[in-house]
Amino acid sequence: MKKKLLTIVLFSFYCLFLTAQDATEIIKKANDKINGEESSFSIMKMTIIRPEWERTLEFKNWTKGTDYALTLITSPARDKGQSFLKRSTEMWSWNPTISRLIKLPPSMMSQGWMGSDYTNDDILKESSVVEDYIHEITGEDEIEGRLCYRIKMTAKEEAAVIWGHQVRWIDKDDYLFLKAELYDEDGYLVRTELGKNIETMDGRLIPTIMEIIPEDEEGYKTIVEIEEIEFNIPVEDGFFSQQNLKRVR
Amino acid sequence: MKNYKMAWRNLWRNKRRTIITASSVFFAVFFALVMRSLQLGTYDSMYKNVIESYSGYIQVQDEEFWENKIVDNVFKNTEELQEKIKEVRNVEDVIPRFESFALASSGSRSKGVLVMGIDPQKEKLLSDVEDKLVEYRLTDDAINAIKSEDIPDYLAKNMDLFAGNSYSSDGRLQIDLGIKESDAESLMPIIEKYASIDNGYFNMGDNAALVGDRLSRYLGLERGDTIILIGQAYHGYTAAGKYVVEGIVTIPNPDIDNKIVYLPVDVCQNLYYANGMLTSMVVHLRDNDDDAIDNTMERLDSKLESPYRVLGWKEMNKTLVQQLEADDKSGIIMIGILYLVIAFGVFGTVLMMTAERRREFGVLIAIGMQKTKMAGVMVYEMLYIGLLGILAGVAVALPSIIYGYHHPIHFPSKFAKIWEEYGFEPVMAFQWIDKYFLSQSLVVAIIVLVAVIYPVVKIRKLKEVNALKA
Repeated sequence: MKKKLLTIVLFSFYCLFLTAQDATEIIKKANDKINGEESSFSIMKMTIIRPEWERTLEFKNWTKGTDYALTLITSPARDKGQSFLKRSTEMWSWNPTISRLIKLPPSMMSQGWMGSDYTNDDILKESSVVEDYIHEITGEDEIEGRLCYRIKMTAKEEAAVIWGHQVRWIDKDDYLFLKAELYDEDGYLVRTELGKNIETMDGRLIPTIMEIIPEDEEGYKTIVEIEEIEFNIPVEDGFFSQQNLKRVR
Repeated sequence: MKNYKMAWRNLWRNKRRTIITASSVFFAVFFALVMRSLQLGTYDSMYKNVIESYSGYIQVQDEEFWENKIVDNVFKNTEELQEKIKEVRNVEDVIPRFESFALASSGSRSKGVLVMGIDPQKEKLLSDVEDKLVEYRLTDDAINAIKSEDIPDYLAKNMDLFAGNSYSSDGRLQIDLGIKESDAESLMPIIEKYASIDNGYFNMGDNAALVGDRLSRYLGLERGDTIILIGQAYHGYTAAGKYVVEGIVTIPNPDIDNKIVYLPVDVCQNLYYANGMLTSMVVHLRDNDDDAIDNTMERLDSKLESPYRVLGWKEMNKTLVQQLEADDKSGIIMIGILYLVIAFGVFGTVLMMTAERRREFGVLIAIGMQKTKMAGVMVYEMLYIGLLGILAGVAVALPSIIYGYHHPIHFPSKFAKIWEEYGFEPVMAFQWIDKYFLSQSLVVAIIVLVAVIYPVVKIRKLKEVNALKA
């Protein structure tokens, strides 16, 4: 009897461990898929939609591992040439109009990037969906005809993240981020992200359009469209330097 | 003999008594007037400061702008709109403004600032930024250099007191430093030699900025330096620009002085990627009377429809208005207490006088004077005393207030710092002769009239037999 009980206890622990491991694994797979295991280069188009106006930005994006990221704006003319750099925990911005390199304070991470609903944190990926959260599968849902894991991600105590928790829906077969709900520390829904238009790019099946819809602002929306993406490109660490930030084209 | 004549003679029968009673009224009127004048004048100067250096009396804005001061809530600066506003009676001109926020940086320091795009010429009608350019700055170096010259002791002492201050005019500098007219000619050149600051102004289209005095010191900016402004422009574009500091201005309101950067309006529009747009139009009025402002506002309101909004200075400076209204209430309570003290003082003297003259009243009634006539004489006497006191009070208060109006009280720097921390200019000003003169005098007159009830009642109840024995 005692033995049986112990087995049950051990087994349930094992199951718990297994699911936790699974959830993290799923998130990691999905994250690697869209960001590249080693590195990536992409050209993206961002449309900011507001009740009275909308505008479009185009930018190039280089990433390497979780430590390095560089973003360069290529359009419109007025913003062209502005670039952003992330090196581990430090973030810099270069503005050619004033020829100044500005260090972005951590307090600016939750602010909208270039006036969009995307935060600086989203662009520079200061926080990691894999390392900064505790993951837990809470169920399965069907989104746009695809069966998805529903994973609740609770921010780790010590992690510098701007969200309290997230709920993400990840395609079971192809590990695609199809939907995410992001909540603040008080548990209020702040915004919803939707992955759409699933296509094959650089040999991978990925959602090529991401929509961001803030919760409390009527008529606000940001759409990011991947125009071109290459995974695991050869790129030196030295590429992500302050000097290159000013030079990159 | 007529009552009023008799009363007049009665007054001078006992001069001392009359003078004592009249002087209690005199002090009442004098203090009430000076106190009120000082209070109202100080409020007025605070309002004027913020109105004339910042908000103006009336502004036209986009209806969303006041609640949400972002660059997206702007409107087009059209000739047609300007004409429409100018057609309204009492409107002299419209002054364009483009204001927003930015991060200003110079060297390694940065600070959030208020960027104000102004029309360099038209703005002279209102906040006259050019007039506020710093002429003298009492830096420690300047003070030490001046001290090494042959100067009177008082100047050295006063300079230490006002160390670090900036001045945009000779007048204010001379008042603070206590420089007498006779000394000015010999001392001013010395001060000018060491403490004067070279400043310029800008024109439309110049890539130049004027910076508030306190802000310039925080950022370590001087004329010719470059200031960098970064912020968010129209529709989420990036606002970034560098400008040459052409001048340093000193704004009386320390809060604004600490964060203001002026740019020519077209340059500012360009910075915020909003060419031809404005955040507000300041309506310049011919007549700044409270009533005239209200009337003009009503007329503008009925003329301008959505998306425009007409705002009055009271709405734009709500915090200040509330702050000063609360202060005004406490001031009124103070004056109420003053009146109470005065009322008892007047009443006390009247009481004494009545008791003193009891025998006299008794005799007069005994020899056939009617009580009503006697009471009448008494009322006249009190009126004379009241009038005398009020007139004397006004007569003395008037020159003091006129003097004070022209020479506002500047706090010595120790107190000044405290006031400035609250965001007020450390100056107490007097209010020019106005309605309050009448109301204060009237209140004192009423006190006298109430006090007169006592002797009248006393006379009516007077028993001659008892009175004669007194």
